[in-house]
Amino acid sequence: MPFGQLLVEGLAIGACYGLFATAVVIVYKTSEVVNFAQGEMAMFSSFVAFHILTVYQWPFWLAFVITMVFSILLGVLIEYLFLRPAKHPSILGMIVITLGAEMLLMGLAGWKWGAEQKFFSLPLNPSVTYEPVKGMIVTNWAIAVFAVASVIMLLLYVFFKYTKLGVAMRATQQNKHAAKIMGIRTERVFSIAWGFSSLIGAVAGMFFASRATLDPAFMMEPFLRAFAAAVLGGLMSIPGVIIGGGLMGLIENFFGFYWPSWKPIVAFIVIILVLCVRPSGLFAKHYVKKV
Amino acid sequence: MDMKRDYYEDIRLFKSGVVLFWTIALLLFLFTLPLYAPNYHVYLLNIIMVHIILAVGLNILVGSTGQISLGHAGFFAIGAYGTALLMAKLQIPFVFAILAAAFIAAFFGFILGLPALRLEGPYLAIASLGFGLTIMHIIGGVDLFGGRMGVKVPPLDLGISQLGVAWVLKTDFQKYYLILIITILMVIGARNILKTRVGRSFVAIRDSDIAAEVIGVNLTVYKTLAFAVSAFYAGIAGGLFGFVLGFFDPFTFNMILSIIFLVMVVVGGLGTVSGGIMGACLITYLQYDLLKNIGEVPYFGAFMIDISQRWFTTVGLENFSSMAIGLIMIGIIIFEPLGMFGFWIRMKKYWMTWPF
Amino acid sequence: MKFGKKMVISLFAALTVLTVASIAQAALPAGFDDNEIRIGQWGPQTGPAAPWGSVARGSKLLFDIVNEEGGIHGRKIKYFLRDDMYNPAQTVAVVKELVERQGVFAFVGGVGSATGMAVKDYLAANKIVWVSPSAADKEFTQPLNPYLFAQYPLYKDEASILAKYIVEKLKTKKIGMLYQNDAYGKDGLEGVKERLATYKMSLVAEIPVEPTEKDFASQILRLKNSGAETVLMYVSPTAAVITLKTAANLGFKPQWVSSNTLSDYPLMFKISGGLWEGVITGAFSESPDSKSPLMTKYRDAAKRLTPQERWGVFYYAGIAFADPLVEALKRVGRNLSTDALLKALNSFKDYQTIGPKVNWTEKQHQGTDSVQILKCGPGASYIMLQDWMTNDLATWKK
Repeated sequence: MPFGQLLVEGLAIGACYGLFATAVVIVYKTSEVVNFAQGEMAMFSSFVAFHILTVYQWPFWLAFVITMVFSILLGVLIEYLFLRPAKHPSILGMIVITLGAEMLLMGLAGWKWGAEQKFFSLPLNPSVTYEPVKGMIVTNWAIAVFAVASVIMLLLYVFFKYTKLGVAMRATQQNKHAAKIMGIRTERVFSIAWGFSSLIGAVAGMFFASRATLDPAFMMEPFLRAFAAAVLGGLMSIPGVIIGGGLMGLIENFFGFYWPSWKPIVAFIVIILVLCVRPSGLFAKHYVKKV
Repeated sequence: MDMKRDYYEDIRLFKSGVVLFWTIALLLFLFTLPLYAPNYHVYLLNIIMVHIILAVGLNILVGSTGQISLGHAGFFAIGAYGTALLMAKLQIPFVFAILAAAFIAAFFGFILGLPALRLEGPYLAIASLGFGLTIMHIIGGVDLFGGRMGVKVPPLDLGISQLGVAWVLKTDFQKYYLILIITILMVIGARNILKTRVGRSFVAIRDSDIAAEVIGVNLTVYKTLAFAVSAFYAGIAGGLFGFVLGFFDPFTFNMILSIIFLVMVVVGGLGTVSGGIMGACLITYLQYDLLKNIGEVPYFGAFMIDISQRWFTTVGLENFSSMAIGLIMIGIIIFEPLGMFGFWIRMKKYWMTWPF
Repeated sequence: MKFGKKMVISLFAALTVLTVASIAQAALPAGFDDNEIRIGQWGPQTGPAAPWGSVARGSKLLFDIVNEEGGIHGRKIKYFLRDDMYNPAQTVAVVKELVERQGVFAFVGGVGSATGMAVKDYLAANKIVWVSPSAADKEFTQPLNPYLFAQYPLYKDEASILAKYIVEKLKTKKIGMLYQNDAYGKDGLEGVKERLATYKMSLVAEIPVEPTEKDFASQILRLKNSGAETVLMYVSPTAAVITLKTAANLGFKPQWVSSNTLSDYPLMFKISGGLWEGVITGAFSESPDSKSPLMTKYRDAAKRLTPQERWGVFYYAGIAFADPLVEALKRVGRNLSTDALLKALNSFKDYQTIGPKVNWTEKQHQGTDSVQILKCGPGASYIMLQDWMTNDLATWKK
């Protein structure tokens, strides 16, 4: 029973889901919008990286930096063009706007690069593996994911707690009008939040792409899993969603091993059960609405 | 313009003689439409009407009660599979089969409503999404329901086979009338629901569920009832959809379909029956007809092909339709948050108060 | 107003019954005239199945070549390609639009068994010929449909032939199978099991995956644990690449065998980063770099007419599917009609272009059941392992 291997694989893909879920949560924390276009934004940034790598043949680190800049711009642009002009939109209205942005991005990517699958890889040698404990093969990819996820978690923690911008974001999320009165430019905070989340999403997207193939619809399924992981962990807390992501990965892998025909939905069943018991996810504080 | 003087005016179906006249004119138009429209338009109209039934039902849940549901493709599928299988395997007459399938869908809607009592917003969205996917997975996994190969729908027989009476509807044309009558009945039903005590309880729940509970609206009963009613509508729509299409498999009812249903409701206008109708018409028409074959449009098409050859890939030109639908969705929400119904009300107000 | 409402509704009910009972069906526009023959195809050009859209574009290439050479007995071919997003509801819509608005004489190709099944009865009822669906569903030809001519080998037959090769030539004892949870995967599973039963063997692992899933670590681990030395993959190209990558990560290196849907070696080699070398697949047409005269002619024409398209297996599969229709139209001559076309098609005996031999008779419309078996060599080259072979266990031939 390859318990160790399942553990490693589960945590690796779980870290990836958790990273992507962090992107979703950052947007939700600041603007109370569930960003359904997150997957497609990550997909588009990955395609841009692919384009730079194959068409211009520039080295990977350069392509990476350019993609990061591009993804930040993409996030800011989408917030500025689509979300800001909406006057007092309802929650469902904003969800539909993000869905519209998703269809727009998917169509644009399909138009620009065609629908055939493409090959994308990070400069990690896939055949180098480590076997620290017998029966647990850890690949470069898994190590990279863990490393990146931990670094980003740490940076976010420091950012939100100690920097001025981070405190401003937390203030905007808690009470938008009070933040405005205190002199925080909430519009700018929203744009920056979107830019950040797009950046993290793009990194997670590139990890997913290197494990699978790159085509316009490849992020739809991972987005669903990551969103479910975010809900599992509680949409308001970042450490919560990383743990939620890890849990999702573990649950999926264990059930996938024993009952493969139920693997796709076991995650959702678990989430529904968890939500019955703790309606706001595992780690979030349940904010009670004022009537 | 909308002032009501007493309770009976409020619950009337037709506001005035003028509304009744135009409604009759519209019905006349709809009933004679297939006589001069080409046959494939009739097929498209059938699909639009099926979506209207579903959008109206979903609007009761999302617009009037304020709950989000991303799992309605599952109830749609229950209706389709239920009707087709009950008629094919158990030889139950059409009317009973479709009602039975719709009630089964309503039962599952009720089950979804139970966790919904504690959830809201994105949590409810994920729970309903998971529910819809689970239903599809179970249907696809059980071979009794045709499994992954899909189900071939039996001919639409309105008669009762046990008595030897058979009235088969074969062409789109004949199915159109059946679907039209059922659509009209369901729409009238939805309007009436919204005007009764039940409807007002739904709206109270949407506006503030805690306050509603305080004034005596039983949240458990009414929230699950909202889910059950919208699932019932989805079940009827699904049953009819099966006959319009002739063949379906589990992948026809995927998550994208659920999302499109939600978009229909929001784009059309939350909380109103006409909003659901308009949203269903617009989105279905866009998806199925208007934006296809961009390359064949006279001047614009050649221009698009030219751009594609220079900067994009020509083979991906068909994606223009998804881009356009996305832009239209965003545009409608940005410029008119109340959806298409909001546009309609604005136009009405403008003309009613002209020239001031 | 209550009385008015009831009167209105009952009036319309009566009108409906009268109109329904008395209306006649309008005639469809003809599918051909003196100058052109109209042929249509549907295919997923957008959406998740869009990579298969190249089939429809390949047929277009053949029709362009035919029109360049002067058409068929003085008539040019007008080709309609419609995007149905792999959604059966849209397939029905586009087919009805083509048949009733444009007037189409025949349909060719058409990716997807669900989409094909949705329109199959409509086309037969309207007496429209349909040649070579690009999907292998045995319901297309059983029960016999006089207007539908299938050319694609059934997945079950191909799986049976592959299983026979594995047992007899590769001589492995432990065989596992990874299959997609839809008609394609399940048909393959049936074929393999049927063949293995004749050898009194059985699969050590049979693992389903969802078509849209992107993470197979647990499934591959299970395969590895079962000790399978040869694994049959009946999945989509993306899933196959993920499988190979995951297996390489886990240190699992069995002999991979797959069906002809993954026989596009240049593509698979590229998107798997070279991991595709050594994989054995079935094939239903010649390899892309073959030197046979027809392939060379088509390849040069593609370079000339559609340079932006990649010369992939499924692109020229569109040519292979459309070719019998073109040949049958040529055989009919100037006096064209649906019955003449049916007679010409029913007389195809051992007709071969760039695919297998095709045989159609009045009683049997499944044209072929033979596949080749190829192996991917270094640099995405094609190594022929076994030439055209048929499935002797197939029951539909009897």
